[in-house]
Amino acid sequence: MSQTISAQVQLRPQIERSRPDFVMIGIIAVLTALGLLMILSTSGPRLEAEGSVRASQMIRQSTFVVLGVVTFFLATILSDRQWRLLTPWVYAVTLALLALVLGIGELIGGAQRWIPLGLFNLQPSEVAKPAVILGLAALLAGAVEGQVKWSRIFKAFALVGVPAILIFLQPDLGTMLVFGFVTVVMLFAAGTDVRQIVILGLVAIAALIIAIEADLLAEYQVDRLTGFLSPGEQTLSINYNQIQSQIAIGGGGMFGQGLFEGTQTNLAFVPAQTTDFIFTAVAEQLGFAGAATVIALYSVLVLRLLIIASTARDRFGRLVASGMAAMIAFHVFVNIGMTVGLLPVTGLPLPFLSFGGSFYISTLFGLGVAHSIWIHRSRIPLGAVPGRAV
Amino acid sequence: MNFGWRLVAIGTLVAGLFGILVLRLWYLQVTEVEASLEVAFEQRIRVVEIEAPRGDIFDNKGKELLAGTVATLRVVVDRKLIAFEEEEFLIQNLSALLAIPASEIRREFETRGPGGRFPLGDQITQSTGISVLENIEDFPGVTIEPVPFRIYPLLETAAHIVGYVGSPNDDDLERTDIDINDQVGKFGIEGSYDRLLRGTPGQIIYRVNAKGEILGVLEERPPKPGGSVITTIDLDVQRFVEDTLISGVLLARQEETARREEEQSARREEEQSIFRGAAVVIDVTDGSIIAMASVPAFDPSIFSDGRLSQDEWQGLAEKAVFNNFAIQGLFPPGSSFKVIVNALARQRRISPVLEAEYEEIVDQVADPTAFFSDGELLFPNTPPLNDWKDGGHGLVDLSESLAQSVNSYYWSIALRIWRQRDVDWPENLLQDFARRLSFGHRTGIDLPFEQPGLVPDREWFQFNQQNQTGLVRKEGGWSGGDLMNIATGQGALSVTPLQMAVAYAALVNGGTVWEPRVVDSVRDAENNLLFTNVPSAADKIDFRPGLVDELKADLNRVVNSETGTAKKAFEGFCDDDVPDDECAALQEVGGKTGTAEIRQATDRVEAIDTAWFVGAAPLSDPRWVVAVVIDQGGSGGRVAAPTARRIFQFLMGENPDPVRAGSESER
Repeated sequence: MSQTISAQVQLRPQIERSRPDFVMIGIIAVLTALGLLMILSTSGPRLEAEGSVRASQMIRQSTFVVLGVVTFFLATILSDRQWRLLTPWVYAVTLALLALVLGIGELIGGAQRWIPLGLFNLQPSEVAKPAVILGLAALLAGAVEGQVKWSRIFKAFALVGVPAILIFLQPDLGTMLVFGFVTVVMLFAAGTDVRQIVILGLVAIAALIIAIEADLLAEYQVDRLTGFLSPGEQTLSINYNQIQSQIAIGGGGMFGQGLFEGTQTNLAFVPAQTTDFIFTAVAEQLGFAGAATVIALYSVLVLRLLIIASTARDRFGRLVASGMAAMIAFHVFVNIGMTVGLLPVTGLPLPFLSFGGSFYISTLFGLGVAHSIWIHRSRIPLGAVPGRAV
Repeated sequence: MNFGWRLVAIGTLVAGLFGILVLRLWYLQVTEVEASLEVAFEQRIRVVEIEAPRGDIFDNKGKELLAGTVATLRVVVDRKLIAFEEEEFLIQNLSALLAIPASEIRREFETRGPGGRFPLGDQITQSTGISVLENIEDFPGVTIEPVPFRIYPLLETAAHIVGYVGSPNDDDLERTDIDINDQVGKFGIEGSYDRLLRGTPGQIIYRVNAKGEILGVLEERPPKPGGSVITTIDLDVQRFVEDTLISGVLLARQEETARREEEQSARREEEQSIFRGAAVVIDVTDGSIIAMASVPAFDPSIFSDGRLSQDEWQGLAEKAVFNNFAIQGLFPPGSSFKVIVNALARQRRISPVLEAEYEEIVDQVADPTAFFSDGELLFPNTPPLNDWKDGGHGLVDLSESLAQSVNSYYWSIALRIWRQRDVDWPENLLQDFARRLSFGHRTGIDLPFEQPGLVPDREWFQFNQQNQTGLVRKEGGWSGGDLMNIATGQGALSVTPLQMAVAYAALVNGGTVWEPRVVDSVRDAENNLLFTNVPSAADKIDFRPGLVDELKADLNRVVNSETGTAKKAFEGFCDDDVPDDECAALQEVGGKTGTAEIRQATDRVEAIDTAWFVGAAPLSDPRWVVAVVIDQGGSGGRVAAPTARRIFQFLMGENPDPVRAGSESER
């Protein structure tokens, strides 16, 4: 069977090797454009009422988009091998930034998360996401499929744990959850035994229970996690947000109220419309058809990343692509799950759509690395040679 | 491409998670879309209710205003527009502005609830309103609006008929058209015609944002003013009757004082006289109430601003000012009830049972209604009963028995009914007749809280005996003695002044028992009829031919014959220079006195009889029946009859004389 597949690969023309992934780039472009439109439609009326320029928030996001696109191409220019070599530096810089934010980070909304850079506020916890993926990929690349030792797993936890603790001190619960999910997916992709993962899962649940019991989590974090279990209580502002979001989404119906027409989002019933709840505006204005299309686009993006993983020329590339797929998928699921009232409010942004520079740029950085992996992919897929360590 | 099973597993997991999102979106946006749209619409609007001006209440000519509504400038607080943190600040500022203690305002905020919108304090001047608007940042959520305010220009006049409005109680709030902020009719016409008077509130529907800030007006529906009530009340008569009734009650008190001095019975300190009475003037041709007075009275506007304190209310309630004694007061009718027995005796040709020793004397006059009164009634198995006149009234017939109010005559009629019960007629012959004439149940007047009264019979007696209610004696059964009590208007029999008026009206109008009414019609702002209260007969009694004329003649004898118990009270009915036998008006008046014995005295209240007079005029073509009752008035002939006489003089165009004492009449 492996010979048949090798034969097919060999039939591909040589030029394909360097051809960019236009599907991925196209999806990023479409979602980014939609994000700009949604930011305009939800922030425009309020800004106008305040006497500001209607499009000012959209223009601000556009500058992030430019920075993100530049980052993407810079990441693509370097080869996957070079990125592997740079990984320790990326990781070290991230730790430094996380330490810095604790030191000088501005106190915003009760959480020390941002480093003011003049042009925008840098959120090191967002930068940490692709950095941790790169680090984990470099560490786990040396493991053997089906034979990942506990010692390597613990090293992986240590690698994630250090930035996670720094983030926990800020605190940022959402990012911690992203780290957890990405770590598990990457361990799985790296060939960790399923039994090991089950054991890890049980330990994680036990740890969470102990954390809640021991009051390690702030009260608002517990509220966020448990508030959605009693949706009737409008007094909890957490639930108010979600209930308003669901009303707005429901009001969208099959085809939506039309672009710029969303009454709930425009009248400010839905909070954080340009950030955490941007999907609410999409669903209200474009309806089920538009919302489902957006989810379909994310699905194709995740699929593309998994294809990149499967065609990567080494285990590092395979694991980076899997990690990015996990990160995008987790953000999409948790963010939209929150707006539709299925999941608690954790403050995870929606990739490409939510207003904000740090996450947009760091996402495009991670995808740039993945794209580099695609550009330098193997003619003979990794899976075709079982057990081969690179 | 070779995904490997691990990548396929990851892809499947992501596909599953995204699938859940799509299903949830389908549920929200397609399955439940209607519910979402409705909720979304409701929270984008804010409905402000505008109180409809309450309809006016007029006299029978539709000219004089008994109750009306004016717009007063008020401070209106809308708690929906006030941030919670600002509330204390606002309360302090309002307290300073309106000179109301902050605690009182805070209590008001609590009663009206978190979303409440309500006027606060009294009417404000234009300049106060402007200064509030100029400093609106000190008064968040406050508007200055004209708010309807109920006024009663005639103050105490007709207060018990007009009634009053007040804040809704729990029962009122169960009505769908009543809101916690509304004023609701509580008493009188305000109460019974509340639905027609209140109109339909208007609405302004605003478009608001999430903060509740008003963005624009979506829809404005002006309120529909309530209907205006045209009563049957003739204000001239009403005012006159009220004044006269007060004079009558005053006379009773003077008489009482004089009697006490004469008897030299030092009045005990704690003993108190009550100042109560009622009078009804009814139109016998259609049951309309021309006047209805109850003493003591009250000013209905004390309720309008909703600031009457519990203590103040309690004080007034103890004086019974809020009781309309004409329909809520229950009194034994005394001898005024003899007219009903007299009519029944004529209708069924019932002759009195005679004492054996007088049978011979009576037989000589060959009149089946003849009777001999020696002042003491002795029958086997009954205790001796005394007439009010020492030595008795002598030989009397049915007519003279009424003129002189001969108790023994009516006892003997009752005894006849009792002896021939279940032979010639059912046992409850008298009670059934009384009930047809409106006694023992509500007359159905269009006013709230009417009392039914009581016409006792064997069934009632046994029920109370078995249940040991304390209303009847413990031993022995319902007896002829009980029926004899009813025949003289004593015992457990209790009636309202209105019931007396309705019954007399039926007797003189030929048998029509009207359902009395105080409202003629209700019209809307464009003068279209909303409701017509057509006169309606509760019953029609077929009287024997000639009966009504005989009865009217008997009633006239009470006021106009030498032996009549109200003769003295009606003396000089015409002007001073016209002797009574030439006074045409006096031939047209008739009636009956009543002095109901109150047997049970309490420590604080001496047993003083209830004084009655019920009469009709003009007898040749009856129009009015006047019923007067004075609680603790003593003798009907002495106190109630002079009061009624003055009312009749007014009705018949004679010069009314001051109320002065008549003669001591029956007991």
